[in-house]
Amino acid sequence: MWRIALAMLLGDKPKYLALVCGLAFAVLLISQQCAIFMGLLIRSTGPLQNVRQADLWITDPTVKWISETRNLSESDLQRVRSVPGVLWAEPFFSGRASADLPSGSTRIVNLIGIDRTTMVGQPPKVTAGRLEDLRIEGAVLVEESSRSKLDNVNIGDTLKLNDKRAVVVGFCQAKPGFDSPAVVYTTFANAITFQPLGRNTMPYVLVKVKPEVGLLQVQKSIASLPGVKAFTWDEINAITIRFILVETGIGINFAITVLLGLVVGLAVSGAIFYQFTMENARSYAVLKAMGTKNWKLVGMVLIQAVWVGLIGYGIGVGMTALFTLQSRRPGTELAALFPWQLLVGAFVGMIACISVGSILSLNRVLRLEPGVVFK
Amino acid sequence: MLISHTSSHTLPNAGQAGGISGEIAVRLSGVTKSFGSGNLTVAALRGIDLQIAAGQLVMLVGPSGCGKTTLVSVISGVLDADQGRVELFGVDWKSLSGEQKTGRRAELVGFVFQQFNLLAPLLAWQNVAVPLMIRGMKQRDAKPLACEALAAVGLGDRTMARPGELSGGMQQRVAIARALVGKPRLLVCDEPTAALDAKTGQTVMDLIVGASKRVDDAGRGCCVIVVTHDNRIFHYADRIEEMDDGQLKDKPADFIIAGANTHGTG
Repeated sequence: MWRIALAMLLGDKPKYLALVCGLAFAVLLISQQCAIFMGLLIRSTGPLQNVRQADLWITDPTVKWISETRNLSESDLQRVRSVPGVLWAEPFFSGRASADLPSGSTRIVNLIGIDRTTMVGQPPKVTAGRLEDLRIEGAVLVEESSRSKLDNVNIGDTLKLNDKRAVVVGFCQAKPGFDSPAVVYTTFANAITFQPLGRNTMPYVLVKVKPEVGLLQVQKSIASLPGVKAFTWDEINAITIRFILVETGIGINFAITVLLGLVVGLAVSGAIFYQFTMENARSYAVLKAMGTKNWKLVGMVLIQAVWVGLIGYGIGVGMTALFTLQSRRPGTELAALFPWQLLVGAFVGMIACISVGSILSLNRVLRLEPGVVFK
Repeated sequence: MLISHTSSHTLPNAGQAGGISGEIAVRLSGVTKSFGSGNLTVAALRGIDLQIAAGQLVMLVGPSGCGKTTLVSVISGVLDADQGRVELFGVDWKSLSGEQKTGRRAELVGFVFQQFNLLAPLLAWQNVAVPLMIRGMKQRDAKPLACEALAAVGLGDRTMARPGELSGGMQQRVAIARALVGKPRLLVCDEPTAALDAKTGQTVMDLIVGASKRVDDAGRGCCVIVVTHDNRIFHYADRIEEMDDGQLKDKPADFIIAGANTHGTG
């Protein structure tokens, strides 16, 4: 009987296509918006993902997320270094600077400053030039995907950062931040030259704990110091995501869009599927009159629903997957993350969409009087 | 012996006209059926008594709204009677559950409708195979039987056509093939020639009469009930039952003799 059910479904091409398109659109909207949202969340922690050498991030206690900086002083750095169990503690600069480009235009860049001796906080991968060249006065490494934002600068080109001369000595790969500015690496010493901050110059102090000492113990010791707070990588990652979710309004906006996708899917697919069943009511009545049992009719309706659901789901998640792949190309501004959990979530959304149409249709089919075939 | 709707009437040509095995296919006693409620209640059947033998072709005639279709719906188990007893091959429909009724319809009853009621998206052979698939047969096993049934109604070359590609007469022949492919013991035909021209109607009736003469391996005949307004086909009947206002009318013997079984097929 499932062949008959599918023949009935495929025989009404306009409704079949409308059903598949409606479900595909709903699944696309649900999965793609979730993927973008998760991509943005991950992007917001990009600067954190670039730095994996440190066990603790020390910063001002009022900092709410990674891109918000309140600077520490040199004395804070020295106090942290004096805490028992600290293997090393190095300053890490992260701030904004205005770049004057060769074309005459201006661009805001995210300036990352790392310790010139230990290079703690260095970019994950240097693709051209040498990391050591950063020690040259005014030297910078430009993140590859940022080149297009900086007039496609080449090694040897000069920029002006906050009106001070900077020389491009190489390129690197690193994850951008939430607002995706151009990323430029330099040494901490160069950074505070480009952007003088007065007495408090250090947004972060990166700390490595001695292997034989417990991380928690050192974290507590540092937290007891006045005016600083110690975060593990996971903690600062979590407060960053929480900030984006709760305090930016992005979370609720994406949730509304996803909900709209679900509602559109429910309404469109439910209405079309029910209409399809209504138009085939006579056929179901004929089958009923000829002796088709109710459970077989239920099976036919469910097969039709699952068929359009799976095809719509496949198209929807397929398009989201293509979008996600596109977002992984170097230099793209797209942000998307498509984990398997999202596949499951979109599947549940699709099941919800087809359930409405199926329940309405089953209600109709099961109440159908076979006697209508004689009318 | 064949028995008409009242005990006082017997068919004069009963011996030749059917009842191959003499088995009673349909037995109704005191059957009533109403629709609606309160002041809007319409009595569609008012105390019907009727017996039809296997192998007999009975025509139900009468004006529109007289209850013909309700009667065949009740006989075939599509509708439940309000009161009275409706037996099909000795089993009272009321003694069966809903699922059992459905299963018994699939097993015993074939339908031919005025509007054909073919499933438009299916090919002709797929439409014919539907009753077999309802009984649980796989499509690949049902296909040769369906093609054979189509060949029997002269459509062996149109097995791959969809209903929309066939004329009205051809569609009705597909519907007859569908009704007969499962070798039903009761064939219910609702205005089978109403939508057809005279010549095509004759062809369709020849097929239906053929079905009524068929016997199964156990020597049991097929009971055929035809609801019709079409007086051009009355001569095919073994017996004609006239209905009016939900009741079977008593009729003079010459009405039956004049109307019934003069088509020469026995």
